[in-house]
Amino acid sequence: MVARSSSRPPGTAMTERLRRGKGDLWTRSADPGHLVHGESIRRVNGVEWRRWDPSRSKIAAGLLRTTGDPLRLLPPEESHALYLGAGHGGTISHLHDLMDEHGRLVAVDLSPRCMRDLTSLARRRPGLVPVLGDARHHGLLRPLLPQGVSWIFQDVAQAHQASIFAAACSSFLRKGGTGVLSLKVASDRGTDADVLRADVEAVLEASSLRLDEVMDLAGLQDDHLMFVVHGGPEDA
Amino acid sequence: MRLVVEWHASAVVDDDGVQVDLLVWDGRGGVAAAAERLHAVGAGRLTPEAKRLLERFDDATPSVPTPDDGLPSPEAEHLALLDEAALFLAEQGVADAAGDLDRRIEHLQRAMDEVRVAANLQGSRFIEWLGLFLVDLDLDQDRVALARTLAAADDLGSFARGLGLAAPMHAPARAEWRSLRDLAQSIGEVQGRLDRLEAALRTLVDDHLPSLSRLVGPLLAAKLCVTAGGKGRLARLPSSTVQVLGAEQAFFAHLRTGSPPPKHGHLFGHPWVKRSPWWVRGKVARMLAGRCSIAARLDAYGGVPLDHDAVASVDAKVEAIRAAHPRPPKRRG
Repeated sequence: MVARSSSRPPGTAMTERLRRGKGDLWTRSADPGHLVHGESIRRVNGVEWRRWDPSRSKIAAGLLRTTGDPLRLLPPEESHALYLGAGHGGTISHLHDLMDEHGRLVAVDLSPRCMRDLTSLARRRPGLVPVLGDARHHGLLRPLLPQGVSWIFQDVAQAHQASIFAAACSSFLRKGGTGVLSLKVASDRGTDADVLRADVEAVLEASSLRLDEVMDLAGLQDDHLMFVVHGGPEDA
Repeated sequence: MRLVVEWHASAVVDDDGVQVDLLVWDGRGGVAAAAERLHAVGAGRLTPEAKRLLERFDDATPSVPTPDDGLPSPEAEHLALLDEAALFLAEQGVADAAGDLDRRIEHLQRAMDEVRVAANLQGSRFIEWLGLFLVDLDLDQDRVALARTLAAADDLGSFARGLGLAAPMHAPARAEWRSLRDLAQSIGEVQGRLDRLEAALRTLVDDHLPSLSRLVGPLLAAKLCVTAGGKGRLARLPSSTVQVLGAEQAFFAHLRTGSPPPKHGHLFGHPWVKRSPWWVRGKVARMLAGRCSIAARLDAYGGVPLDHDAVASVDAKVEAIRAAHPRPPKRRG
């Protein structure tokens, strides 16, 4: 643990709970005194700031890379949000820092090993709801999210990422909500980045999602593209 | 007529969209009951309320609720149970992962490989160390047996006498001798550990992959299963991939640089391949890979396991291939 006490919080404020440093981000811990993945922390007047490393989190990379308003990539504080491909919960913990217990963050992952870390995280962080299951199957998510969500993020690194994302958006994303898709180029076999990008844009458009921005995360997350969409089905 | 099923309530809605019957969960059973309902809905099965409604209206077809069906929202106290129920389900799922034999076989297999590396390292260190003192010691003998004998000896001199070897010109210091004996003792223990791992792996694989295990032996079956990423995946692989499982490095080098493709991966470990002359190994491996795929599919999809006759027919086929190619091919150019 690299805990440093100082008189000033790191970086400059983006919101009350999020600060931007030089090439990294910091979130105000919703669970002070507890580290999630060995991140650096800084204590300022009893407030604990956890470093959010853009080379370990696609959303953090996107926040630094986007040319638009970075805050639109994040779930609104008091919203219902859906995270597909939650992994060991590093990024999840930072998103939860931002939402705290005011919102609900449903975190889906297929791997029991990852789910183990997510459940212990959820025991410490009310508002975080772990779901062990396949991102393609919505059966269990529907009762958990009856009103849909205003934010979806997907990072699943498997084939057909775009259609999995489009299906999730059409099931759950409310009108005016934001969807963020992190696309691992190597996961859809035999295509190069440009062709894949065009394919994904076609898939997203076909499901009436408005494409807002496409970012290349190279340097922070190599071979990853990030798509930001708005919308949800028109008749939702 | 539709039976709309939600975790906390179910209703029967007729074709005009009128709700004709409704049952709401009373919250009895707490988190565990909520989790069970959630699980049922998630898996597309019926909740207890839905089952009771279906008894009353056996012509209703179960379906996903829409906002127009007029299902009541869950009461606040039940809604509060929902997130806890989801967490409960996730934790149950984590616990249930141990029921997956693929995962257990993978741990056993990898642990065995790792312990074997340790055993080999310690064994070769031991024999070289001991050979330094005892010049007429046969360095190619069974190291584990030697180590077990040494671990029971009082000193190096009596150990050498016991084996009929010349006394060492330089005896080790007392602490040095103790260290050597500790190492010998550890070699015996590590070997025991390895044997127990192997026995456990054999039992599990015989149970999980009976056909494949009978065809190529439990240890090779385990390797194939682990490399493929589980029984289900192994069953779905084309047998051309099964043929080169375990030779990934050579295979991708082939794709990258055009070097000759590997003829066999793990399958080389089987005597049918290993003990064949080099010019038929590829043919035998290709045939055997096909049979392995069939065996894996029998195991994965609940077929009747292969019997000894089937294995004998593969053996006969190997003999036939060997007999058909008694001489190595002439080198071209």
